[in-house]
Amino acid sequence: MKRLILISILFVIAGCQNTEAYQIAEASQSSEGPKNVWVSSTSAKLKAESRSSSDTVTALPVGLKLNVIALESRWYHVSTPDKKTGWVYRGWVRAEAPEQEVESDDEDSLGSLLGDSSGSSIEADSADSTRSIRGLSPEAEEYAKQSGSPKKFKDALDSVLSMRTKNRDVETFLQKGKIGQYAE
Amino acid sequence: MNRRGFIKYIWAAGFFAASPAFAFDIFKALDPQGKNKDVQKAKTIFDGASSIISSATDMDYKSEFAIGESLALEGFKRYGLPSKSKTLQEYVNLVGNSVARNSLRPTISYYFVVVDSPLYNAFACPGGIIFVSSALVKAMNYEADLACVLAHEVAHVGHKHALQSIKRAKFFEGVGKISTVNMKGEDGKKFRDMIGGLQETLFDKGLDQGMEHEADESGMEIAYRTGYNPKGLVRILHMLKKKEEKAKKKGSWFSTHPPLSERISKCENHLKKYPDANELAEVNKRFAEYRRLL
Repeated sequence: MKRLILISILFVIAGCQNTEAYQIAEASQSSEGPKNVWVSSTSAKLKAESRSSSDTVTALPVGLKLNVIALESRWYHVSTPDKKTGWVYRGWVRAEAPEQEVESDDEDSLGSLLGDSSGSSIEADSADSTRSIRGLSPEAEEYAKQSGSPKKFKDALDSVLSMRTKNRDVETFLQKGKIGQYAE
Repeated sequence: MNRRGFIKYIWAAGFFAASPAFAFDIFKALDPQGKNKDVQKAKTIFDGASSIISSATDMDYKSEFAIGESLALEGFKRYGLPSKSKTLQEYVNLVGNSVARNSLRPTISYYFVVVDSPLYNAFACPGGIIFVSSALVKAMNYEADLACVLAHEVAHVGHKHALQSIKRAKFFEGVGKISTVNMKGEDGKKFRDMIGGLQETLFDKGLDQGMEHEADESGMEIAYRTGYNPKGLVRILHMLKKKEEKAKKKGSWFSTHPPLSERISKCENHLKKYPDANELAEVNKRFAEYRRLL
């Protein structure tokens, strides 16, 4: 009986921690709306007006806390901690701070640290490099060797990991599809 | 031991596990001298639970990605090689990265690959390598459908679901980080056993049903945030339901995910949270052009 209770409690604990850690905020659906939102997208920019074609005031790094002035249609009117005001698309923010992590301490992750498709602290449009460009890690090479994985599978993984997805290409892609901030 | 006392302290452990720092003070307050066996047992349970949980979620990204790469090698072996069209692969990576940057873990890199497979399947390797089968893509009609499926998989990475399924693997006993050093000898065998277990979970048995429902909801949220109609996921589930009777089950979404009727019901209910969903992007024409490349 004790064991049963113990196991049940451990499941509850695991559930609580998981929910607490990753619950997605519903900033955009609240009738009154949140007082603060946090930048949660690597493509977030502060726009001068509530449309994607307006001037970019500044790029917004993931995790930045914004003060909400108003919500109009799909855009939040916000102010930044350094008192800049402007508009952010609702999909770029959440009502709670997002998880932030560093990919690795390798040089090949610099792309993400310097604000390309991921981890943007530089205006996305100005970033010219790609997401981290990498081949198989030494660990995966070792696994392939130890497990006798055929070369064709290593080559396949290598081709996947060398796929380049530029941030500006994602923007153009969304714009052509009239998706999100580019919707009419 | 007094049964009522035991249960009381166990509940205390469960309750305070949500705020670990506070829990430490509470156990100390309950038993400053550390002499009460019940309190100490509850504290031990709490400490153990925290340790188990953190071992999965606190793994450094490089180690997580090494697990993901190793699993991806097995994924190609099981499901087939990448579809030949580079244009199609680039397109799927554009759709995938569009949703990934609005996900729970927006600052890591994601890689998407369509593999030539007759099975209806998609799965996520830890660290962000995401597979989708050519059969599943062929059966879709809208870019929003693809975005929702990829967002579901991105959500698994965000929630670290696969890692949670291997948190008790023997490999992690005494191993903090994964490196080429502990990929050899006895540790190497444990690592390969762990990848074998992960394959069994992701390719055959499936993740915990609660995790799948969580990924469904998170995936719909991610798609919505990006600007795609989250209804795409419901549409895919309905499509799969129609094909379920004649489709090959082993190694597909049919065998690795919860019953479709249950998922459809939950997703349709969740869809009510997005009253403007039908105003969002579906993108049919562009999707059809790329689907032809399969």
